[in-house]
Amino acid sequence: MSDKYNLEVVEEEKNQYIVVSIGSEQYGIDISYVDNIVRMQKITRVPKSLPYYRGVINLRGEVVPVMSARRKMGLEDDVFTKASRIIILKLEAQGMVGIVVDEVKEVVSLGQDDIDQNVHSTKGDNGNFINGIGKNGEDLISIFDVYSIVDAVENA
Amino acid sequence: MDVSQYLEIFIDETAEHIQALSDGIMVLENEPEDKDTINEIFRAAHSLKGMAGTMGFKRMQHLTHDMENVFQEIRNDKVKINSDLIDILFDCLDAIEGYLDTVKQTSDEGTEDNEVLIKKLNEYLKKAEDGGSEAPVEEAKPVEEAKEETEETSEESDYTTMHLDEETKDAMKKAEDAGSLLYGFTVQINKECLLKAARAFLVFKAVEDFGEIVAYDPSVQDIEDEKFEFTFHIVVCTNEEPDLDAMKKAMGAVSEIDSVEGGKVSVADFHEKDAKEEKTAEEVKEEAAAPEVKEEAPAPAPAPSAAPAPAPTASKTPAAKPKTNKPVTSRTIRVDIEKLDSLMNQVSELIIAKNSLVAMSSSNGADTQSQSQSFHEEIEYLERITTNLHESVMKVRMVPIESTVNKFPRMIRDLSRKLGKPMELYMSGEDTELDRTVVDQIGDPLQHLLRNSADHGIESPELRKERGKPEEGSIFLSAYQEGNNVIIQVRDDGNGIDTENVKRKAVERGIVSEEEAENLTDKEIINFLFMPSFSMAKKITDISGRGVGLDVVKSNIEALGGDVEVKSVFGQGSTFTVRLPLTLAIIQALMVEVRDEKYAIALESIQNIENIPVSEIKYVQAKEVIHLRGTVIPLIRLDDLLDCPPKEDDPENIVVVIVKKGDSFAGIVVDNLIGQQEIVIKSMGKVIENNKLISGATILGDGEVALILDVNALF
Repeated sequence: MSDKYNLEVVEEEKNQYIVVSIGSEQYGIDISYVDNIVRMQKITRVPKSLPYYRGVINLRGEVVPVMSARRKMGLEDDVFTKASRIIILKLEAQGMVGIVVDEVKEVVSLGQDDIDQNVHSTKGDNGNFINGIGKNGEDLISIFDVYSIVDAVENA
Repeated sequence: MDVSQYLEIFIDETAEHIQALSDGIMVLENEPEDKDTINEIFRAAHSLKGMAGTMGFKRMQHLTHDMENVFQEIRNDKVKINSDLIDILFDCLDAIEGYLDTVKQTSDEGTEDNEVLIKKLNEYLKKAEDGGSEAPVEEAKPVEEAKEETEETSEESDYTTMHLDEETKDAMKKAEDAGSLLYGFTVQINKECLLKAARAFLVFKAVEDFGEIVAYDPSVQDIEDEKFEFTFHIVVCTNEEPDLDAMKKAMGAVSEIDSVEGGKVSVADFHEKDAKEEKTAEEVKEEAAAPEVKEEAPAPAPAPSAAPAPAPTASKTPAAKPKTNKPVTSRTIRVDIEKLDSLMNQVSELIIAKNSLVAMSSSNGADTQSQSQSFHEEIEYLERITTNLHESVMKVRMVPIESTVNKFPRMIRDLSRKLGKPMELYMSGEDTELDRTVVDQIGDPLQHLLRNSADHGIESPELRKERGKPEEGSIFLSAYQEGNNVIIQVRDDGNGIDTENVKRKAVERGIVSEEEAENLTDKEIINFLFMPSFSMAKKITDISGRGVGLDVVKSNIEALGGDVEVKSVFGQGSTFTVRLPLTLAIIQALMVEVRDEKYAIALESIQNIENIPVSEIKYVQAKEVIHLRGTVIPLIRLDDLLDCPPKEDDPENIVVVIVKKGDSFAGIVVDNLIGQQEIVIKSMGKVIENNKLISGATILGDGEVALILDVNALF
């Protein structure tokens, strides 16, 4: 009984993160929010939308808005390569949203101990969507706060 | 019996019957002698009662039963219809609707007994009886019903008040004549008992050692089906003098039996009792009605058969019936079987088409030329089927607006009485079909408009007379299809909109300055009415005039993809025109190109397409316009509007798509026309829908996403 309990605790503590690279940094996205990862495809521009939205794509017959993590973070605009991917997030309130990333690296399991919650953003307002820094061996991975990155904050 | 599986059907059909009743009563009010209508109403009331009974909704059954009695009297010409009665009947309908709502939410009818209504109904019956010479047949019914209710509700009832039919009495009489002895028993089963029928059966079994059971109340069938509370009565017939205590003991020995009471009875007792029946019933009722009487100040004599005593009824909840409080939310749609048949046919054709494609892909021997030819044929075939299929499915979703507008005549009637202004609603085009989702949601806005017309539109009879209009105001609700739109008009011959008054209000509220107000057209002034919290009512009534009216109407209708327009002549009346798309999901659109982006413009808003030389563009107040066949049309450069990259070369001619919204026009300048296409409207997701220009997106044949322009936002 107690063994089983311990096992559950261990499972709960480890979360899986998809590691993506944007610019020179690595970011982690909690896998439970990820619906899908798709290759770069034609994105239809939506005029007059918030600037960090690249537009909409057709995901298996559904129209899904796609935003640019680079634009949202105030980095230089995306350059689409063969490695570029769109991570499709599925959120309860906002529905499906895609995020363009430069590359998808791997999936890592991080426990709470591996994540440093004590992050003080030095980037000002634009850095607010990181809620921790994960340590995966030598690499540091900024963990996205999925909800705040999708929230419509007009600052980019 | 578990009836929960029928609950949805019950809800559907009850709503239909209520509507039928409501319609019928409306007709009856104007033509009280119309026998056909009376019969129709009677049938509807009867079915309603039957259904409620089957579902075990006793209170609902009771009310409908009494309504049915009244209709019966009307049918027999014993009761004359007057507006008082009509009012009561409508109140009854409301009460039944109340039951239905409760059933919808909790799968149970609730505990409202509506005694006041039942009492009123019975007063009418009583009057009829007093007036009519022979009423026993009709009278028996309510009394019987009441008696049943009494027995079910009151715990004190015992075997001496058993309810027996003539046949049983005859059998008992015979047995008595033959020298047998009759004993009556009342058996009380423990309230915790789960298998009442089984216990009852054991009791019967025990009694059969002593003699034969000649009478049951409730009937043996009902006992077996557990359709009784925790008491039942039996009459046992024996040949020799038995030991009464032994019999009681034998019955009491059955587990979960609380008490057995019994004694000698004779048929004469029952006959005697029957004679008293009415009186006792009346007494019981009198008691039941007494508290009511006090509340209802000037109450006339208590009705001969009234409601069951309130207290026991409320506490009486059949323990055997599991209480499911799950709301019945699933929505159903009734579909004409023909529509389903054609759907079925098309699906079979689809399968055939698929099969021939499969066959073609597996037969790879034939020469490629003929294969590609037949491949093309199959594709064309497939195309035709899918188009038809789409049409059929859309038709299945279409329902007549009847179901929504049906309740309006009743509403106007009530308003007319409430406001003391005679008025009549004339409806046409109730069979106009609209998408189910639209029909469901158009009810509220239309109701608002009608209330508005009734309250603000129609003048008082005196003023109407002064203006030379007929005293009775008229409100017209007409619906018809116009292209891809359905038009619903609410028109009244009332006061119309006093634009001067509206203008003054607008200035008062600081919406426009006085100078600006002078230059406003009537139309612009009327549009103020659609602004939030701009109520014109001089005083707030509970009908309209809270300032949350027209702006809500407008936003509701716009949410459905439609729009609303007003035309009004002061002193002559106003017309509200609601324009709705036939369906929400699929529209005919013109695909246009701006640079390398594709946009869809709903075909219904397009007036025509013009190819115009750049030299014909004129300037008015530094804005581009064209002068086309006598109309000056402002130009909108789509590329500028949508922040497209600038064009390299200036062409000699521009393509202008002329769109209209109501009476105004605009010319949209595009680079290229692609063609007409049927498009499926998709939502763009919540996070990005933050501009009014784009109303949605669609997926083109090649999988690309194209955006749909909302023309209404251009004006």
